[in-house]
Amino acid sequence: MRVMEAQREQTRARYPDSEGYVERDGVRVFWERYGEGEQTILLLPTWSVLHSRIWKMQIPYLARHYRVVLFDGRGNGRSDRPAQPEAYAESEYAADALAVMDATQTSRAVIVGFSLGAHRGLLLTANHPERVEGAVFIGPHYPGGGQPVPERAVHSWEEELDTEEGWAKHNHHYWLRDYEGYLEFFMSRLFSEPHSTKPIEDGIGWGLETTPETLALTYLAPLMEPEEARELAGRVRCPVLVIHGENDGHSSVTRGIALAEDTGGRLALLEGSFHAPHIRDPVKVNLLIRDFVESVA
Amino acid sequence: MSILEARREQTRARNPDDEGYVERDGVRVFWERYGDGPTTLLLFPTSPISQSRLWKAQIPFLARHYRVLTFDPRGNGRSDRPTDAAAYGSWEFVEDGRAVLEAGGAERAILVGLCDGGGWALMLASRHPETALGVVAIAPYVPYLTAGHPNYTLYPFDEPLDTDEGWAKWNIHYWRRDFRGFLEFFFSQQLPEPHSTKQIEDCVEWGLGTDPETLALADEEAPLPWSSKEEARAVCERVSCPVLVLHGELDQCQPRERATAVAAFTGGTLVTLEGAGHLPQARHPVKVNLLIRDFVRSLERRTSWSS
Repeated sequence: MRVMEAQREQTRARYPDSEGYVERDGVRVFWERYGEGEQTILLLPTWSVLHSRIWKMQIPYLARHYRVVLFDGRGNGRSDRPAQPEAYAESEYAADALAVMDATQTSRAVIVGFSLGAHRGLLLTANHPERVEGAVFIGPHYPGGGQPVPERAVHSWEEELDTEEGWAKHNHHYWLRDYEGYLEFFMSRLFSEPHSTKPIEDGIGWGLETTPETLALTYLAPLMEPEEARELAGRVRCPVLVIHGENDGHSSVTRGIALAEDTGGRLALLEGSFHAPHIRDPVKVNLLIRDFVESVA
Repeated sequence: MSILEARREQTRARNPDDEGYVERDGVRVFWERYGDGPTTLLLFPTSPISQSRLWKAQIPFLARHYRVLTFDPRGNGRSDRPTDAAAYGSWEFVEDGRAVLEAGGAERAILVGLCDGGGWALMLASRHPETALGVVAIAPYVPYLTAGHPNYTLYPFDEPLDTDEGWAKWNIHYWRRDFRGFLEFFFSQQLPEPHSTKQIEDCVEWGLGTDPETLALADEEAPLPWSSKEEARAVCERVSCPVLVLHGELDQCQPRERATAVAAFTGGTLVTLEGAGHLPQARHPVKVNLLIRDFVRSLERRTSWSS
């Protein structure tokens, strides 16, 4: 009984006004829409270790003013978990986003991407400018510029390592040995601000809704190369806002600075913030998003 | 530099509109006023293990609607630290509250208190009924009314012990050895809710605003205001204003029977907070704030009918 209780989804501050699935090549992707309004905000999925609840602090606020559409990235949440790595290519996530926009009768939207969501966001913004009014990138993982976080560049993901310390846990073999241990490490590095026990616990719970095998497929999918990222960023014409925590230990703040430069966007650096300021400083980030949406109206 | 930074007071959601000291028998007590309006709320402190910031999650909300008075208990915050136990008798805190009410420009108020402060609010309403429009007593401590929480009598307070485990930390020798260690243990017990690291850190910081000797004077050596259950009950029964009692079901400081007895003997209402510990105002502020506001509203309606 206690296990059942713990597994049941938490209550939400706000529930969706409509929901559904889109299907592409046999893969079903689950979407939700909250609120009404002239403008639509599309909250993109990030790496499939997380699902759409990563936006839980944005939805109830933004949906008071705008139409908010979001979906679970393939590989987690209520979306399918295809068994082929190609199904997790960035272009697939971008195509899912367009399919969700079509299904919700959304001709144009302000898109918001977090971390890896920058890849999907850049593909949409550069290749479908008629659908994107503006783009917000939070803690973007932008391969086109800046530097990797030094301690993340030490260990191999594929090879068996002789250590499990720190980022050595970000390793295929360790995932298969102790997935929960990996999630505990990963989420504590995602939410490194003091007093983050609740978001860490949430993140571990969302991570446990997928499997290390599924996550491995996302790693075997083709990666976005630096030149491709720069080329996409150079073609972005809509307004861009980059929000980056100065202490980000996942994706270096230099990545966000480079993305703002390459897209001609505005940059908001958040003092004392780490990788996910929208969860840990939601009021600040929500107001930044609102002001941005108002400015592109 | 970083030590200085850490010790500087945190920014506040709202700063006081007025502040000052009252002095009684040479002891200065620091008070603050937030907001204005015809209805005044006096938020009592609790034992000098804490100070007036314990109401930080109430002040900005309540001050939007009401005149809110707070004060630091003698022994902590910006109030004096007298060195004789008699200065920490319960009636002294009660009379400090009455003096703050006067200094803050209010003749009567809704009296709000937590733990010791809940008892002091009831005592003020009992001794000076003209000052009290109502009382909100959160996890109130009323000595002798019922048995105390067993935690406090598991080990002797004054004797050196051969263990530091658990409630053996409620011991003056341990306090002198590791006051922070005691505070960390104590507030972890009082904040059993998940994800309470911030509230625990705050409470430890405020606890470090006093010292073991002062706290021992106040919590263990000061004379109790009476010495029998009958007297305790009589004090409660003399409270003639409406009373709201809040109690967290996981409270490790004040037993549920005590809250129940306070509600019964004052003719008040008891609200039990599921999943809450001893400090619901810190950990469940929205719930507690709305309960206080609704209680105040019910009194305002009552006042407008009778006038």
